[in-house]
Amino acid sequence: MANAVTHTKPPPEAPPRGPAQRRRKRRNTLIGWSFILPNFLGFALFTLVPVIAAFALAFMEWDSYRAPEWIGLDNFAEMLEDENFRVALGNTLYYAAGHIPLTMVAALGLAIVLNRKIRGVGFFRTAAFFPYVTSLVAVAVVWNMLFNPTVGPVNQFLGAIGVGDPPGWVASTDWAMPAVIITSVWRDMGYYMVLYLAGLQSIPEEYYEAARVDGANAWHRFWHITLPSLRPTTFFVLVMLTIQSFKVLDLIVVMTNGGPGRSTLVLSQLVYREGITEGHFGYSSAIALVLFVIVLSVTVLQFRLNERRNA
Amino acid sequence: MTALDHAPPTAPPHDPPPPATARGRAWRIARPVLTYTAMVVVALLVLVPFAWMLSAALKRDNEVFTVPIQWIPDELRWSNFVEIWDRIPLAAYLGNSLFLSVTITLLQVLTGSFAAYGFAKVRFPGRNALFLMYIGTIAVPWQAYMVPQYIMMQKMELTNTYWSIILLQAFGAFGVFLMRQYYTSIPDELCEAARIDGLSEYGIYRRIILPLSKPALASLALLTFVSTWNDYMGPFIYLTSNELWTVQLGLRSFVGQYDAEYAMIMTGAVLSVLPILLVFLLGQRYFIRGIATTGLKG
Amino acid sequence: MMTPNKPRAGRRGRVRGALVGLTALSLVAAGCGSGEPADESGPVTLSVAVWNLAGTPEFQAVFDAFEAANPDVTVQPVDILAADYPTKVTTMLAGGDTTDVITMKNVIDYARYAGRGQLADVTDLAKGKENGDLAGLDAFDQEGKYFALPYRQDFWLLYYNKKMFDEAGVAHPENMTWDQYADTAKKLTKEADGKKVYGTYHHTWRSVVHAIAAAQNDGDQITGDFEFFADQYEMALDLQKSGAALDFGSATSQQASYRTMFETGATAMLPMGTWYTAGILAAKKKGDSAVEWGIAPMPQRPGASGVTTFGSPTAFAVNKNAKHTETARKFVEFAAGVEGAKAITKVGVLPALQTDEITKLYASLEGMPSGEQTTKALSPDKTVLEMPVSEHTADVDTILKEEHDLIMVGEKSVEEGIRTMRDRVKKVID
Repeated sequence: MANAVTHTKPPPEAPPRGPAQRRRKRRNTLIGWSFILPNFLGFALFTLVPVIAAFALAFMEWDSYRAPEWIGLDNFAEMLEDENFRVALGNTLYYAAGHIPLTMVAALGLAIVLNRKIRGVGFFRTAAFFPYVTSLVAVAVVWNMLFNPTVGPVNQFLGAIGVGDPPGWVASTDWAMPAVIITSVWRDMGYYMVLYLAGLQSIPEEYYEAARVDGANAWHRFWHITLPSLRPTTFFVLVMLTIQSFKVLDLIVVMTNGGPGRSTLVLSQLVYREGITEGHFGYSSAIALVLFVIVLSVTVLQFRLNERRNA
Repeated sequence: MTALDHAPPTAPPHDPPPPATARGRAWRIARPVLTYTAMVVVALLVLVPFAWMLSAALKRDNEVFTVPIQWIPDELRWSNFVEIWDRIPLAAYLGNSLFLSVTITLLQVLTGSFAAYGFAKVRFPGRNALFLMYIGTIAVPWQAYMVPQYIMMQKMELTNTYWSIILLQAFGAFGVFLMRQYYTSIPDELCEAARIDGLSEYGIYRRIILPLSKPALASLALLTFVSTWNDYMGPFIYLTSNELWTVQLGLRSFVGQYDAEYAMIMTGAVLSVLPILLVFLLGQRYFIRGIATTGLKG
Repeated sequence: MMTPNKPRAGRRGRVRGALVGLTALSLVAAGCGSGEPADESGPVTLSVAVWNLAGTPEFQAVFDAFEAANPDVTVQPVDILAADYPTKVTTMLAGGDTTDVITMKNVIDYARYAGRGQLADVTDLAKGKENGDLAGLDAFDQEGKYFALPYRQDFWLLYYNKKMFDEAGVAHPENMTWDQYADTAKKLTKEADGKKVYGTYHHTWRSVVHAIAAAQNDGDQITGDFEFFADQYEMALDLQKSGAALDFGSATSQQASYRTMFETGATAMLPMGTWYTAGILAAKKKGDSAVEWGIAPMPQRPGASGVTTFGSPTAFAVNKNAKHTETARKFVEFAAGVEGAKAITKVGVLPALQTDEITKLYASLEGMPSGEQTTKALSPDKTVLEMPVSEHTADVDTILKEEHDLIMVGEKSVEEGIRTMRDRVKKVID
């Protein structure tokens, strides 16, 4: 995995034999750490240590007050039996499968449209970002109204174009998750648009000039210049989207609170419920550990693919 | 440095000049009009929930959640926007939020962009494993380690001070990751050339990389500011004294055990969005082609 | 719940032991000198954890009364947001916080804190009150010990809009059965000025069906046999199907507010807890609502003797790590006693101490509906705890809520829903 993260082709590294090379390597290590250290100190102390403590708790039983007790893999065994866990895992994967690609496409589309020098672009960018800062309660109420099975505009529109049996959306177990996904794409697209907007600025104008001279049309320019040049950004967006999708909590709590039934119950909600609410902190940590392992595997996979594409 | 040449902004991309027919001329005028109309319509649709917030801010508490939604209240209660300043110390809360958001954003941008250089441009053993660890921690839900973290903070006697929130949020992995990705799109040849010119690594960071990454710095600052400003759970857990509260805590103080003053909440929410609006409008100006320019590879 | 493996001896065992020890060392905050008892002979500043101080006047009322009775003591409230009060208290107590008095928002959380040993024993203060007038005290019985005393007890009754009854020529509700209640609701449903007025409004909480059914059928919401929910479900579903009550799907997704429904005249009746009286009184005083309201006992099953309803108490407890244990105990006893009860009654909150004197004081508050009817509604014959406390309460509560959703939105029939409840709950209990 050591090289999984590198983006650029590694220069032919001679095995560190000579003392000069060793010295250089040590110097590089020192310099590298000197850059990382200010951030790392705070990160290690206030994030890493508690995270490790939480992972240790995954093998214990703990009620947040009395001394923890080692129970080995019992928490994980319990998880295999736990229907809630299975349901939440399935829902989380479902959510991620919908939310990741849709948000990515929407964000990229917005960024490209709003990267032009047009009058009032500031207003349009702000409008696109606004869903992200709109109060969650407002988001939930308005989208739930749009999705109302009988009087909501969405179903009235579907009826008008001839859909005979429109979905029940948030009032039905089958359609609640799609409704949540659509709402969350709407909410998050502005956020990722900002990241894409920054990425777009790193593409030199000359590339487009040259392509235009060669007679490439807009689609060609997008496919052969914009997309490849955006790869580091796309990779970042993809990893962050993956992580955020697997951790999704706030929007679902306000919009459906996991319902109807368990149709939108997700893993983070289970972590919260088992830990803070019910006091099974060991079990809650075990779920978090599983969530972590899943996300990390997906991320490493994305790193590998990214690396191969760059090679 | 050649790399820093600010190329004059080139003309916006145009499609090939349209043929000079009447139809072409008409299209040339109609097209931007249509585009604009479409964009305005979409923008307004996107803003519908915000409109709901605004309308709720002008109602009485017990008129907010009517079924069906009443978009225009019978009586516009602008007085809500006056009343809220008396009901809670909103100015103080806004000040606290501003202090935390600015401090955390500054620290995050500084340390994050600094560390990112180490991860992107300096080669040393263990770098990639360390980086994966950074990203890995983002993947752990906060609810899972919130209690251990609190106990640590309590032992260091940092709870109920701004230190707890600042130390917790200023050194996140997000900024490091974002900046590292941006730096990797800056070609190594640029750094090599500077090394040959005798610049130290710190000099390269400050004089070459940093000026080139303004758009990324802007987006990091923007997103950090917004997430700190909107954060609720962190300040809720760590800040107990009322005089330390942020605006998000202030808004939720209108929620009671059995019911809530939703008109007040929405009034406050509208007011608390305004600073974000300002920050965004300022920040998004950095997303302009021409800042980062020649000499960059794709 | 789980049997811990006995750590085997040898190297692996030692590593394990070290890991547990290390985690324990970093996480267990209790007793690390945090609970140094302070001198309580001089002036004392007593810290009390409460939610939403500004919006919950009962707290300030008790504090003022307590300070007046104990001039040496200053009460310092620790104001915590109501929405996530349990989250914060759980975290604070885990960190070994030394706040003296902790308010117990519900009995389930109480059982958890008490079970972990985070609360001080106040059994001696409860002695002599077991069979007295302190309603809801048995809910705090932990195998014969008490770790909190209730100061407030809310129970459910029926709010109604007098004007709508008069206009429709329907007699005001007195002792209704559920059938009469449903008929009345249908009669009162109408379309007025293009606005729908529902006969009644059932809020989305499952207690509206479950807790009342359990209370009136002697049912137990933990055991897993939930046949006794059936009649109540039939009635509720029939009401929403006939349009006499807002349907559950709209109510949840639009976050319908029961206050809005009642105060803006969108419903003629509303089964709800006594806490709401303080809310209406305030709204009327402020001019936010013109509703002419009355209260009646909850409807009963046919042939029931006396009025049975459900409710839940709120209590004060002493933190095990309290800095001022003696003063804290004094406070808890005071709040549960006559003086505390009088203080909170004056701000429209029904205290746990229920004597005739207190009920009369409450019914005579300014703005309360007058008459015999009010006093009667305020003195039910039997108040059953909303949800029994056991180690499985939280799990069962979640399951019942999830299945309740599905029955109410029509995804499952009553029979099927009750069967799934049973199956899932049995699994948890075994």
